[in-house]
Amino acid sequence: MTNWAVDLIDVRKTYGKTVHALRGVNIKVGRGEIFGLLGPNGAGKTTLVKIMMTVVHPSRALGTILGRPLGHRGKLARTGYLPENHRYPGYLTGAQVLDYYAALAKVPRPQRRANAARLLERFGIARWGDTRVDKYSKGMLQRLGLAQALMNDPELLVLDEPTDGLDPVGRRDVRQLLLELQQQGTTVFLNSHLLSELEMVCDRVTILVDGLVARQGTLAELTEHTVEYRVTFSGDAKPIRDKLMALGGTLDGDMLVLAGGGTQKVNAAIDLLRSQGLSIESVQPHRFSLEDILVEAMSGGAPAGAGQKGTP
Amino acid sequence: MQVWALIVDSFRESLDRKIFWVLLLIELLVAAAMFCIGFEPGRIDVLFGLWTPQTDAFTSLSGLRTDRIAGLAVHFIMDLFLGWVGITLAIIATAGFFPTMLERGAVDVVLSKPISRPKLFLGRYMGSMVFVLLHATFFVGITFVIIGTRWRTWLPGYLLSIPLMVLLFSYIYCISAWAGVAYRSTVVAVIISLAAWACFFGIQTTGDLFETLPRWKESRAAYKAISTARWVIPKTQDITYLAARWSGASTSAGLVPEVDKDGQDMVQRADQSERERMYMNPIHTIGTSLLFEAVIVALAMWRFSRQDY
Repeated sequence: MTNWAVDLIDVRKTYGKTVHALRGVNIKVGRGEIFGLLGPNGAGKTTLVKIMMTVVHPSRALGTILGRPLGHRGKLARTGYLPENHRYPGYLTGAQVLDYYAALAKVPRPQRRANAARLLERFGIARWGDTRVDKYSKGMLQRLGLAQALMNDPELLVLDEPTDGLDPVGRRDVRQLLLELQQQGTTVFLNSHLLSELEMVCDRVTILVDGLVARQGTLAELTEHTVEYRVTFSGDAKPIRDKLMALGGTLDGDMLVLAGGGTQKVNAAIDLLRSQGLSIESVQPHRFSLEDILVEAMSGGAPAGAGQKGTP
Repeated sequence: MQVWALIVDSFRESLDRKIFWVLLLIELLVAAAMFCIGFEPGRIDVLFGLWTPQTDAFTSLSGLRTDRIAGLAVHFIMDLFLGWVGITLAIIATAGFFPTMLERGAVDVVLSKPISRPKLFLGRYMGSMVFVLLHATFFVGITFVIIGTRWRTWLPGYLLSIPLMVLLFSYIYCISAWAGVAYRSTVVAVIISLAAWACFFGIQTTGDLFETLPRWKESRAAYKAISTARWVIPKTQDITYLAARWSGASTSAGLVPEVDKDGQDMVQRADQSERERMYMNPIHTIGTSLLFEAVIVALAMWRFSRQDY
């Protein structure tokens, strides 16, 4: 059995002849990981997720999901999916929604009944199990969608904007759920705009920009080399400007900004400043957030050392 | 399990549509109206004796017996209600089955399940058939009993109207399903399928005119074109004709010549015999229509299977 729950190789999707939604995406997700997919609007995230779930046909796609080629029915039966802006037939009750989609996923009837009762309870909508879903609020629908995705006890759970429409408590519940599922060995593939949430739960992330993987790696890998140090001083540093720039620093008035390079470089810069008789007032490390990395990736910048190597 | 789930879902969806209940109400009203009329030898009574028309005068004027009036009434019901009103309402009721399944947000979940798209399509398609089968069974069943008890005419062949009406519906519905998949719009599906039905009617009627008006046949190219078109399209008119004929209503109404033991018309008319062979052979009528349906269903499935959602 392969260690990858998701191993996508050279996934491409072209609409018509000119719109290249995906231009050769390679993604690996280890079993039991919580994986985050992020990127700006139009980056191709939803297209990628839809290709994984056979909703969209790829122009080209190699690789496997749960060890089998994309679209393998046996593995789809072991995958749960919550699409973005999902909509369930208004004439069904919550319990009927769960039963119907689980039947399509070939879940045996006794298991459907047991899972439906358990999940309705788990998501706090058991009281509304016999209510038509067109009477549900957005938050209740989202909870129902999550329950639907879990009806087949999936090995791989693909969630597209799972906290959309949920209040802060609901979001916290979802985060808690994802961590619980991870403990049970479920792999979670998460597509979300809420970067702070991805930071809280994801083991690894991939940033898609313009249909290509711009960054990929664990959060530690992505942020490890994306620390900058801000050294403020008093005095004139212009005479040593070239030497500071050689260390990778940039001068901004009375502040020297050193991007990456670790503490050795900072110490070297401080030594240089002090040798010039300048007084060091403060040294502040500043670690990039996921948002900073995303913005950098979108602008085409390359934070030192961030990313591409990041497959585990 | 999967196909059954799709059929059950289609049934639930149909129950949610007002037109399901409208159709049921119309069926009940028609059945009630039929129940209020009784045919007995030489006598017709309305509302259980409240009003008894002077049937002697009526039958002498029309030259019809009461059993023939009953036969005519059955023929009328089959042609108008089952053949036109019922099928039209059924098309309207089921036209949304595919577009609603393919709505953004709804289709994603369904397509992510371990079910092939052709199977998904056919499951949904069969759901519509079940919808019509239930209505046809209800209406034909209840009116069969009424015709037997109140009209004193037991027509076992009338029960064949159930599969024939489902067949007739399926010939039109395949176009609705294709349009639903292609355009994802209930309104467009209704318009296209009813327009196609009207075209079929026009072609069949024109074909009939060609058969009965020798002068028209002189235009050989036009005759060949209409004959070919008629061969290709579903024979919707002929299905209702077959239903009426097999039910025995046409015979008792005197609308078709009676047949002998070998199934041959006792009264042969030269200009009709060719038409009988060509167009009224049930195997030909049903078979070529089913061929048309199979082609359209295959096209719809192909489209559905290749489409991105």
